[in-house]
Parts: sequence; structure tokens; C-alpha cells
Amino acid sequence: MKKFWETFKNSRPIKSLLLFLAVMGPGIITANVDNDAGGIATYSLAGAHFGYTLMWSLVPITLALILVQEMCARMAVATGKGLADLIRENYGVKVTFYLMFVLFLVNLTNVMAEFSGIAMSLELFHISRFLSVPVSAILVWMLVVKGTYKSVEKIFLFACLFYVAYIFSGFMAKPDWTDVLHQTLHPKMEWKLDYTIMLVGLVGTTIAPWMQFYLQSSIVEKGVTPEEYKHIKIDVVGGCILAPVIAFFIVVACGATLFQEGIMIESAQEAAVALKPLAGQYASVLFALGLFNASFFAASVLPLSTSYCVCEGMGWDAGIDKRFEEAPHFFWMYTFMIAIGAGVVLIPRFPLLGMMYFSQVGNGILLPFILIFMLKLINDKELMGEFANSKFLNIITWVAVAIIIALTLTMVVFALSNSDALFGIK
Amino acid sequence: MRLFVYLSEILGRNVCDARNHVVGKIYDVSMRMSEEVFPRTESILVRRGFFKKEYAKIPIADCADLGRPLRLKISKEKVVFQEEKIRSTFSLCRHILDQQVVDINDQKVVRVNDVHLLRIDNQFHLAHVDIGIRGIIRRLEWNKMIDGVVRLFAPDSSFLTQEDFISWKNTQVLTIGRSHNVLRSNMARQKLSRIPPTQLAEIMEDLDVFEKVSLFKSFSVDMQHKVFTDMALQEKEELIDQLSNHDAVRIIENIPKDEATDLLLNLPKDKMMNLLRLMKRENAMILKKLLGFEKDSAGGLMTTEYLSLPEDSFVKDALQEIKNNVEKPVNLFHIYIVDNDNRLLGSTSLRNFINADLNTPITETCFSYRIFVRTDDDIEEVALILEKYKFSSIPVLNEDDILQGVITIDDVVEELISIAWKKYDGQL
Repeated sequence: MKKFWETFKNSRPIKSLLLFLAVMGPGIITANVDNDAGGIATYSLAGAHFGYTLMWSLVPITLALILVQEMCARMAVATGKGLADLIRENYGVKVTFYLMFVLFLVNLTNVMAEFSGIAMSLELFHISRFLSVPVSAILVWMLVVKGTYKSVEKIFLFACLFYVAYIFSGFMAKPDWTDVLHQTLHPKMEWKLDYTIMLVGLVGTTIAPWMQFYLQSSIVEKGVTPEEYKHIKIDVVGGCILAPVIAFFIVVACGATLFQEGIMIESAQEAAVALKPLAGQYASVLFALGLFNASFFAASVLPLSTSYCVCEGMGWDAGIDKRFEEAPHFFWMYTFMIAIGAGVVLIPRFPLLGMMYFSQVGNGILLPFILIFMLKLINDKELMGEFANSKFLNIITWVAVAIIIALTLTMVVFALSNSDALFGIK
Repeated sequence: MRLFVYLSEILGRNVCDARNHVVGKIYDVSMRMSEEVFPRTESILVRRGFFKKEYAKIPIADCADLGRPLRLKISKEKVVFQEEKIRSTFSLCRHILDQQVVDINDQKVVRVNDVHLLRIDNQFHLAHVDIGIRGIIRRLEWNKMIDGVVRLFAPDSSFLTQEDFISWKNTQVLTIGRSHNVLRSNMARQKLSRIPPTQLAEIMEDLDVFEKVSLFKSFSVDMQHKVFTDMALQEKEELIDQLSNHDAVRIIENIPKDEATDLLLNLPKDKMMNLLRLMKRENAMILKKLLGFEKDSAGGLMTTEYLSLPEDSFVKDALQEIKNNVEKPVNLFHIYIVDNDNRLLGSTSLRNFINADLNTPITETCFSYRIFVRTDDDIEEVALILEKYKFSSIPVLNEDDILQGVITIDDVVEELISIAWKKYDGQL
């Protein structure tokens, strides 16, 4: 029996499968954290307020996501360093400091969005946010500091199966598939303020800046060697397809229900309507559980990954296996993010949904700057060796960066010329 | 004139020629690769132009005054500019500033925020690296403002004077080694060798793979073997992957055989076979034999380094044998008595014969019973026997009673810890 197992294990296809499973993870995990509270909110709003008219953008966004994440994976494998490390070593402390500062602020708004998600989801169960948010904040803090996070991660990942609900709901709502397909494959831009903001938000939530730092560090931590690179590539590309596919069905489900009935999402109750075709009267329960899992998962990952990469860039000791006195910057930053992220949600009449949505727009604005650094780094032959970017990849990525910047500028121009409309979306 | 200047103050400084015409701005400082304790500057790297940048290298000997602005002895026309950026083999911006270095005194990896230069005899010497918060603030150019504010509220604050420096002689660079061997003063090398190997192995964990190789190559050969033995298995694999086959073979041949087997088992098969081919014949034979055993069996755990003596030896021979092997990674407390076919006849321990007369036959000091395990016994059995007799090592025999090797208690403990850890991990 043992002999059989040995030969079985060493046969070529099985061996490569085992190898794949061994290095698998970072891409899939990143993809699932990507669909966080901000993600669910943004996709739901996109479907509910704009129907299928934004569907086309998911195609280029997916392509860009694959491009960007693959670059991160390649940098991790070729240099064995995190993105913040690389930026520090190649652009000096000044650039790093300001970049990290902005990243910290943007990620802080993302953490606020996660706690908003926690508050919103549990309010569907009539649990006051004054109870749910502080308790969750303490739980998140303990989970990571006490080192139990790794074992809980699997539960989170499993709970991400919740997204399958949107796929079923999307089908059961019986959308007009020809219309959906038509809208997906025929890009059509609407030159309106709320439409452009939503586009920036969609880009920002799908290709979030923090994801690049997080993915690269996780691959470095896994110690993936250049030989194993093709396996990690499958994992990363798989994750990059998974995340937008779920986004697609969220938009479809919302478009087929909320948009058809003309409901504007203003609270969790309305957002949950998208799951009615599947769950009927239990839609809000399902939605609440899913949103809670997504928010809690991301709330555990985001403050941690932000503190890690800021400390990495600034050259401060970091790591949850260190004692408080050994890595004070790290622990203070981590604690601060959770305290502030959870604290602001407790402000009376705090706009939960607005926070979840606008934090993603912030992501979209920061993204091109991170991409520019990545592009410059990945073209450094001395650093990357044979892993440097090809000319073809460079052209597409620069075009993507240019488009995102143009989009942001358009949004700013619209916003300045029409500041009333900016506050139209809640 | 200040004796010390910071690199951050020099960078971007104007360079003027003998007639006070501006030549360009300093963008880097190239250092001499030498064995000096505090290396000297070799040349100043200058940049000019904004849209179309040009670069030049000015030897330090051509500088008249290193103040502000930096004044040259020669005229502007003598400086040759080129379009391509000049890459020097050892320069402050590229290899020290913002990079990670090993702090040899505190035995940890730190990131350099600024470089402190000693200015004497119209020369810059690399004196300290700054790893403190003041270094970061200085680089951000906030130092005047922040110092002003602090002085206003707390004039005696320790913040104003508290610099976090590491002397250059106590640092180990990691970046230069990517393409070149790092030249270091003997002093630094000696200091490095005083760090215990276990500690060095731990430092290595914090580095990326290239830095690992760079640091590793700076160790003496003997040190390399010790540090390598202490590294975690995954780290070993990574390092072996990066080293040349020649170096890899040398290391594998010089670490304890059981460690070597564990490592080889974890390498890709073709890599393993390749390394075995390049090894000395006898070493390859021993390792191949060990590789044939199951990992958790006595055969897989054992090492082939042990002390043995023929039947007709005396206590003095035993003592001599111990003395001869003090330097080797071998258990010195147990000596095995074997016949010509390496069949185990008995075993004795240092405790049994250290007080005996030098001319006592060694067989008289042997344990009255033979204690051993078989190559296919599993680890629990080995652990039980070691515990029962309170031995620190135990011989391993094959079916014909021929001594194959010994298992030392540390290898059993190591394996049991990892088994226990796996169980514990499963419960979480």
C-alpha cells in the first residue's frame, strides 16, 4: 500500500497537483478578502442604481487585476521582498514615508468600512452597533495578537462560500440574459458624475491598493521559489478571476431585483433584497451573515497587513510573534487602526453605506500611483533579472494606469463643476 | 568646520569648479573597496540637467574643498559627463542608504536611515550608519521644524540629542554581495565570528534569499558549516538552491550526516542525485545508505559519526580517540567496541572508564548488556530505550548485528518536538 502511494505521489500529474496545492493560497485568500464590506456595498450599489449599464467595466477591470496581481507575484518570487521593502530600497525614505502615509489613511477608511459592514449586518439582527462594533473590535484585536488568526482563517475562507448565494440568486431572479451579455460586451461610457464616481469605486474595490502589498508579502512569506512560480501563477490568476465573477453576479442579482423595482439602496434591508429570489423571506438573514463574515474577515486582515507594510517600509520591527516592547510602532499602529476604525462607526448618524462606498473610491484614486511604482520596479532588470516585464505587458499596464488616472481626473472635474450632485449618493 | 556630516546633507549639494562655475549636483558617493575599518571615498558622483540627465564621476583627489558648495581643483571642462547612469561597485546610496544591514553588536537586521561621514584630510570616511527616528526626520527635511517645536516645549528633551548610530565596523552589508564578495576589515569579520552560530541562523531568517547568500558567503568556511547546521530545514533548502553546486557539496559533506540526509530528502530528486554525484565517493556511499531508510525509523534518524574501537584496545586508546575527535560533531561520551566486520560487541561510556587505569582493556569497562536498536525500529521505541537507560546516544544495528550508526538524543528530541507540534497544531 505504501509503495503504491509512493509511486502514485511521484507520478508527474499528481506531483504537480500536490505542488500546486502546497503553494496555493495567497491568490485565493487575497481574492476573498477583496470582496469585503466595501466590495459588497459598491457592487450592490452599482447594480441597484445603474442596472447592467456598468457591467462592461468588469471585463477590463478583471484583465487589469490579473495583470497587476501577476506582477506582484513575479516581484515576490524574483526579489523575495515585500512591495514596501522594494519601494523603500529603490526610492528612498522620503517617497516611502509619504506613500505609506497616504496608504495608511486610505486603508484606515477601508477599516472603517469593514466595521461599518459589521455594524450594518448585525443591525439586521437588531443588535445595536454600540454592542456589536466594540465586541468585534476586541475580538479582531485578540484574534491576531493572541496568534489564533491562522487557524480561524480557514473558517473565514469556508464562510466565503456565501458568495455562491449571489450566483444562485442571480440566476433565479431570471435576468434578461441577452441584455446582461450585451451590456457586458459593449462598453458604453456615460459622462455623468455619479457614473464616473461609481466606475472609480469599482476599479478601487476590485484592484485595491492594499491587495498588492498583501499578496506580495504572503507569497514572500510562503517562500515560493522561481521553479514553483508557475504554480503560484495559477493560484493568483484563479483568484483574480474568482473575485470579479462574484462581483458580476452581485451586480446581476441587484440589477435584476433592486434596479427593476426602482429601489435605491439606503440600508442593509434594501441591499438584502437582491438575495430574495434565492432565500425569500430569509434573504436578510443570509445577507447579514455573509456581510458579517466578509467584514470581519477583512477587518482582521487589513489593519494587520497595513501595519506590517508601513513598518516594513519605515524599517521598524514588526510581527505578531514579537513582544510589545520589541515592536512598539507595529502594535500601536495596529491597535490605533482598529480603535479608530471601530470608533468612528459609533458616532451617531454615521453614514455606514457611504463609508463603505466612498472608501473604495479612495482606493481607486490611490491605485494608479501604486501601479506606477510597481511598473518602475518590475522594469528594473538588475532587480528582476529574467522576471522583468516584457514590452507588451508594459504597454498594456501603462495604458491601464493612464485610463485610471484619466477617469479620476474626469471625476474630479465633474465634481468641481457640480458639487451638489456629489452628495446625491448616500 | 564640522568633523561629521550626514550623507543626506551632501546629496543634492552643488559642485563648483575652480572658477566657481556650477558643474552639477551630487547624487551619490562612491566608496573604495578596501579592508580599512572606515572606508574612504573614492569619487563623487555628479548629475546635471533636468530633462536630459547626464552623469559624471569625479575622483576625490580632484576636490579642493568638501564644504558647501563642494569645490573642485579642476575646471568644469575637465569633467566628462555621460548619458548613462554610473554604477559603482560600492556606493553609499545604492548599497547602504535605505538598505538592510546586520547590526553585529545587537545581532539583528536593521534598516539604514542615514549615513554618518567623518570628514578629515579632505576625505569622507564612512563612520556610522544611522538607524534612528532622527535619521528618518532628517531625510524628510523636517528636522529643523520638529527640533524647533521640541526645543520650545521641552528644551532638555533627550530626543534632541539621542542619535541611534551603529559604528561601521559593527555592521555587515548585505546588498553588495549579490554580484561581488563583500570586502570587510578583519576586525568586522572577527566580530561576526563571535556571534553564536544559532544566533546567526536566526538572523538569516529575517533576510531575503539574496541577502542570505551574501551574509552566508561572508562567513569563514568553518562558520558556514556551523550556521548551516543550525538553520531551519526550509531555509537550508533555499540556501542550497542559491549556492553553487561546489559550495553545496562542500557544506553537505561537512555537516552531520543525519542533517545532510534530511536535507537531501527534501531536495528535488535530480538536484539530490546531482549533489551525490559530485561528492567524495565514501561520503556519497554513506549518504545513499542513509537515504534508503524510512524518515522516522532508527535508520533514518541515525548518523554515521560515532567513536568505535577494536576489541583489543585499552582505556588509553579510548581517551586518545576522544581527544582526536573533539573538533568533530560526534557524541564523545559513548564508545562502541566492534570486531573486524563492524559487528557490535559491546559499548562503554566515558563515565565507565575515565577513572580506570590507562592499561585496563576497554572490554572490562563495557556495560554488561548490549543495548541497541534495529534500523527499522520506529522513533517511539528509540525514545523509550534512550529514556530507560538514560543514554545520550544509542547504536543502531542491522539484522546481522553490524553497527550501522548511532542515534543521539538531540535528534530524537527534535523529531519528537516536530511530531508533538503537528499534533498540537491539529488541535487548534
